[in-house]
Amino acid sequence: MTPLDTLYLASAATLAAMLVLGDWRRAGVLATLMYGVQLALLFTMQRTGSTSFDLSALGFELSWRFDALSWFFAVVTLGTAFFASWYGAGEWLRAYTGRRRLFQSALAANVFAMLLLLGSGDLLTLFVGWEATSWAGFLLMALAGGLARDAALRYLVYAMAGAMALLGALVVLFQAGGSFSYEAARATLAAMAPGPLWALIILFGLGFGAKLALLPLHLWQAAAYSETPAPGSVFLGGVVGRMGLFALALVLVGLIGIPHLQALAVPFTFLTAQDVVAWVAALTVVLPTYTALKQNDARYLLAWHGIGQGGYMLLGLIVGSALGSAGGLLHVINYAATQATLLMVVFGVRHRVGHTDLNRLGGLVARMPLSFLALLLGIISLAGLPPMSGFVSKWMVYSSLIQDGRPFLFLAAIVGTLGTILSVYKLIHNLFLGQLRAEHEQLNEAPLSMLIPMLATATLAFVTGVAPGLVLGWVADAQAAIGLPVIDYTLGGIASPRASLDMLWVVGVMFAGFGVGALLFYGAGGKTHRVHQLDNYAGGHFLDAGMRYHYSDNFYAGLMHLIGGWYRGSFHWLEGAIGSGLSLVAQGAGGWYRAINPAFYLLAASVALIAWVAL
Amino acid sequence: MNVASLLVELVLMPLVAFVVGLAMVLMMRRIAARLQRRVGPPFFQPLFDIVKLYGKHTQTSHGLVHDLGIVMAVGGYIAAETMLPVPGMTGIADKGGLVVLAYVMMVPSLGLALGVGQCANPNGSIGISRALTAMLAYDVPFIIVIFGVAFHFGSSNLITIAAAQQAAGIAGWGVSQMPLLALAGLFALHGMLGKQPFEIYVAPAEIATGPMVEMSGKHMGGLFVMQCFQLYTAAVLYVTLFLGGGENWLSFLAKSFAVLAVPVSLAYLFPRYRTEDLVRLMWKWPTMIGLLGLAFLMH
Repeated sequence: MTPLDTLYLASAATLAAMLVLGDWRRAGVLATLMYGVQLALLFTMQRTGSTSFDLSALGFELSWRFDALSWFFAVVTLGTAFFASWYGAGEWLRAYTGRRRLFQSALAANVFAMLLLLGSGDLLTLFVGWEATSWAGFLLMALAGGLARDAALRYLVYAMAGAMALLGALVVLFQAGGSFSYEAARATLAAMAPGPLWALIILFGLGFGAKLALLPLHLWQAAAYSETPAPGSVFLGGVVGRMGLFALALVLVGLIGIPHLQALAVPFTFLTAQDVVAWVAALTVVLPTYTALKQNDARYLLAWHGIGQGGYMLLGLIVGSALGSAGGLLHVINYAATQATLLMVVFGVRHRVGHTDLNRLGGLVARMPLSFLALLLGIISLAGLPPMSGFVSKWMVYSSLIQDGRPFLFLAAIVGTLGTILSVYKLIHNLFLGQLRAEHEQLNEAPLSMLIPMLATATLAFVTGVAPGLVLGWVADAQAAIGLPVIDYTLGGIASPRASLDMLWVVGVMFAGFGVGALLFYGAGGKTHRVHQLDNYAGGHFLDAGMRYHYSDNFYAGLMHLIGGWYRGSFHWLEGAIGSGLSLVAQGAGGWYRAINPAFYLLAASVALIAWVAL
Repeated sequence: MNVASLLVELVLMPLVAFVVGLAMVLMMRRIAARLQRRVGPPFFQPLFDIVKLYGKHTQTSHGLVHDLGIVMAVGGYIAAETMLPVPGMTGIADKGGLVVLAYVMMVPSLGLALGVGQCANPNGSIGISRALTAMLAYDVPFIIVIFGVAFHFGSSNLITIAAAQQAAGIAGWGVSQMPLLALAGLFALHGMLGKQPFEIYVAPAEIATGPMVEMSGKHMGGLFVMQCFQLYTAAVLYVTLFLGGGENWLSFLAKSFAVLAVPVSLAYLFPRYRTEDLVRLMWKWPTMIGLLGLAFLMH
């Protein structure tokens, strides 16, 4: 039995255990331990390897193998599953009123399906893994019922359409090359004419882009991820969408190759395929970030940011330089730790308060200081500020854009970051700062079973920010696996004459600065005394506990006054238009089949045919 | 460079920045006074103000985050100073660079925002909402400038950028090579300083309706210290990007004070912009000038 066999066996055993024991009150602890075992197996195995078994279906071989790219994404998958499961193993599970067996099984099925996808040894296995992941994801999203079910059904429409696009791409590729193997696909794609190649890029882009929620395929994600029960939401938000990035990395970079994308011009323009993908990524950074800014539910706010952060990953990857692609891939692991932390805090607040409405909270730092600390570290990382890990990966993407001479993409990337700073400040302000409501004065800190994993992931995001070299080795191997130039790194970051970064020094100096700042503040001058939150300037008015003295709604009123009108819901309009178009075609087909107004439909079809021939 | 001399630089650079920053505050207040036909404060007034605020008997705090916000605001700038090369000292400028510095400079703003938020005063929160919106406004031309400079010199390392300008003489300075970007940078610098007509987010004339509403004693004293660092950082960064950096202390200080004198002098001649007008202005003129400068640079 190969190490990969053992890993798959452990993952399948976790699923089986949850199917049988999912209702047991200690099922969460068991699942966490089993994810821990899988993670340990992953760390002890070589980064490349294959299973000892192949399956055969309709004369096609299905084979699984791991390379460094699969291994890297598997670490993120199992790490997120481990912490998400831990988060939901204690008090959260005791308070959970839904179907526990279904929930635990759905989480385990997602992990298993994702490992199958990551281990795809050929395009057919990739499709099987993709479908398994999509359906497992649907199960996890839908199991809470109500709003969650509606959101999951919307996701399913995108997933099905994506799957059809993917199937179409595979058929085209098989027709051209006669094989589903990666090697044959690489050779076929290298020799392919621009027309079919564009068709394939679009089909693969639609298929994988729907999971990554690239614009304009992003509308399903925020609601679907937010309405899932807490550990499921943490897992979905942290890693599931990144499977789209894995598949795009495999196909666009590994099979087609960046030089080929650079050589493939968009007819009648000065753009190349690489530019088009980069701009889709850049728009995915900017637009969802500013949609996040106007959310009033903390879960939705984070979910919208999740969409934007996926854009950074693809942007870095598609730049294709050693620095940029390493930044894009590094952001996968940095973002997973960051987003898991943030979602765990927000769901911790929901566990205590019962909701995550940003207009009905505030001042919770006094009652939940450790959750505040975790959220603070998380928002610094999400906003991409030092000393957290989110800064390092974004810095690599920015620097690669400067080196590549792409000012507008650079501008888009940083405008996205600035919007994130505004948005995450609103998040921490409306949750933890400002006035503590009278009804929240007796709240307790999040339970220990939820607190430890959130602090652990926050610590991970900090440690990999101070010493990014700890994980850059994995990234470098993943780059090599898909034929990208490999990053030259140090423990503290990057040493290059054009752009160097040593986070050990930067963070060291920052903390020394904070130390001096603390010495000045606490060591000099008179002693401070703490005043009550209502002992506050109110223009001569008397404040009492019943009075709302907190600024939360329409937090960026000035900015929204200017840019609010830009949110015209154009993507919703597009989605509606596609839906209406499909509905019209279906109605026509149904009418034709049932012989209702056949003459009219025949006429319409004839006109359309003539127009197509004539044009 | 050996570790001992590096450590000496890391101590000296923020100290020098503070002392020069105090002088810059003095210059700013003297210029305002001259324009308003007043005498202006005495030489040591900026220092006296800080000592007075730290020494006040009543020191109220709204909690740990309120205090730590000030610590972050001061500490972030102390760290930033070690990344800004000055004559004879480079600190850790080679370990970060322009983009890192730009992001470290956001840490004090985040600290201030956290501290103000903890005060539970909606007026303070409104002030922060305005301040962050303003940051979104002036940072757009600022990042265009950062891109242009880093692209032009082929590096984001500030030591390399300054050395390249010094080697080429005045004709090779950023301002000669990239005049439009230098102009856009001056606009962004003005917005960044929060001086008139862009001072609505600081609200210095009506502190009860801005971020400073709950700041007094040491908290306000800390912000005074931060202001010294802020003026110094902005001026020195501009000098490093466009005016050849620091060959020697005399010319370096002269250039830094001259750069700062421009927005400070203009500040008292204009009425103020509302927040959304500030955004509109910053996204229009300096951004357009910057993009035009970039177009010339890249072709």
